[in-house]
Amino acid sequence: MRSLWQRLGGERLEAVSASLRPPTVGRSVRPEQVLRPVRPAFIWATLGSAFLLNLLPWGHAIWVPDFFALTLVFWNVHQPRKVGMGVAFVFGLLMDVHNGALFGEHALAYTLLSYGAISLHRRIQWFPAGSQSIYVMGLLLVAQLASAAVRLWVGGASPYWWLGLLSSALGAAMWPLLTALLLSPQRRPAKRDDTRPL
Amino acid sequence: MEYGPPPLFNQGVSARARLAFFSLVAAALIIIDAQVNALDAIRNGVEILLFPVQRVLLWPRDLAVDVGDYLTTLGSLNEENARLRLLAVEQAKLAQQATQLQLENDQLRKLAGVRERVNVPAQMVVALYESRDAFSRKIVIDRGKKDGMRAGYPVIDEAGVVGQVTRVFPLTAEVTLLTDKEQSLPVQIARNGLRAVAFGGQEPETLELRFLPANADIENGDSVVTSGLDGIYPPGMPVAAVLHVDRDVKDQFARIVLKPVAGMSRSRILLVLLADPPPLVPAAEGARAGPSGNLRGDRAPAKAARR
Repeated sequence: MRSLWQRLGGERLEAVSASLRPPTVGRSVRPEQVLRPVRPAFIWATLGSAFLLNLLPWGHAIWVPDFFALTLVFWNVHQPRKVGMGVAFVFGLLMDVHNGALFGEHALAYTLLSYGAISLHRRIQWFPAGSQSIYVMGLLLVAQLASAAVRLWVGGASPYWWLGLLSSALGAAMWPLLTALLLSPQRRPAKRDDTRPL
Repeated sequence: MEYGPPPLFNQGVSARARLAFFSLVAAALIIIDAQVNALDAIRNGVEILLFPVQRVLLWPRDLAVDVGDYLTTLGSLNEENARLRLLAVEQAKLAQQATQLQLENDQLRKLAGVRERVNVPAQMVVALYESRDAFSRKIVIDRGKKDGMRAGYPVIDEAGVVGQVTRVFPLTAEVTLLTDKEQSLPVQIARNGLRAVAFGGQEPETLELRFLPANADIENGDSVVTSGLDGIYPPGMPVAAVLHVDRDVKDQFARIVLKPVAGMSRSRILLVLLADPPPLVPAAEGARAGPSGNLRGDRAPAKAARR
């Protein structure tokens, strides 16, 4: 009797574990890699260099993506506890001074961007990088529209402001590349010997 | 030993509260900056911090330009040399005439009892970069308050008026180009002296004359010069040429599009005329004052004129 019960329970457990096993038919499932912890210095270095990229004299090439916004979204999605809205706000103010924009315009846009990224970060991470970029494009567009709305309110907008939306699309297209680049230090194997064939 | 709550539950201030806080601060800053100039001190401080970084980041571009200049072929240099020689000869004739005309003009002015035109001192500046902004047309130059720049000074290049200094930092200054939508200057048609006000145009890199009747005597190709009525721009400086005139019957005003003669965003070396703007007119007389451009630091005349 007892052995029969055990056998039934064992079978059930096996069935349950079989249902939990990742499906092997059809699309192959990516193995999930456990990432190493990120170094704060790396976060600040990438944020700083993205900001410097924005400071380059791009002039009227308004299709150039906003590198800082993109990097900000990346760290908001992957490390929301380390990079938050305060960082976005402060860098936004710096950007305003550089661009000669109204004080607070970029700060508002980056704050909204950061909030969106932080509230979506659990959802976004489930998707592969290609699909993530659609979310990212939405976030970047919202930030740009916020900035355009401020301009319209002040009255300084040109009828060609929508050309700038191109930069959001380009930024989103760069997302998979950025993900690969910025996650690479965390994807390193724990021991250096693991990469060596011998 | 003190232990805080486990990090699993210690999330700090909620994201929504932070969003509300930072958006409110940003909105307050925007409103303050748009209405009054109370934030210029902070802006100047940040600009001083950013300045060395900005200058260093201009090096790659300047290096590329220098390399490009170095690799210019002999042929194009020869061609340019020949062109410049021709120009020099042409201008020598003009220069010699100019001295004579100046003398004659002085005499006539004395005879007519007209106050002599002041010779405005000027300062050569280099455009550092254009502000990266889809909305406005602004450039940043390498001279600031330290070199005597002040908001309101007109900026020209070798061909004509470029714009006006609108914001001065300690080490740099911001020039709003004429093509900026917010910018305006009083002009007249060189051919017949018809006075008008030129504004930044709807299309990029154009100007437009507003509030001229549909039957105004303006033709394509007319040259437009400053009228000097605002006391900021010296009179007679070339501004633009008329590109096309749209006399729509249903509109009261003609739609006149101009093409600026100055290099606008292309020229690197500019000249700032150190002409102090005229003293502010009292509000009662303000209605008669002409539009005096878009002075950020100096809003009173524009407001008075609107009244």
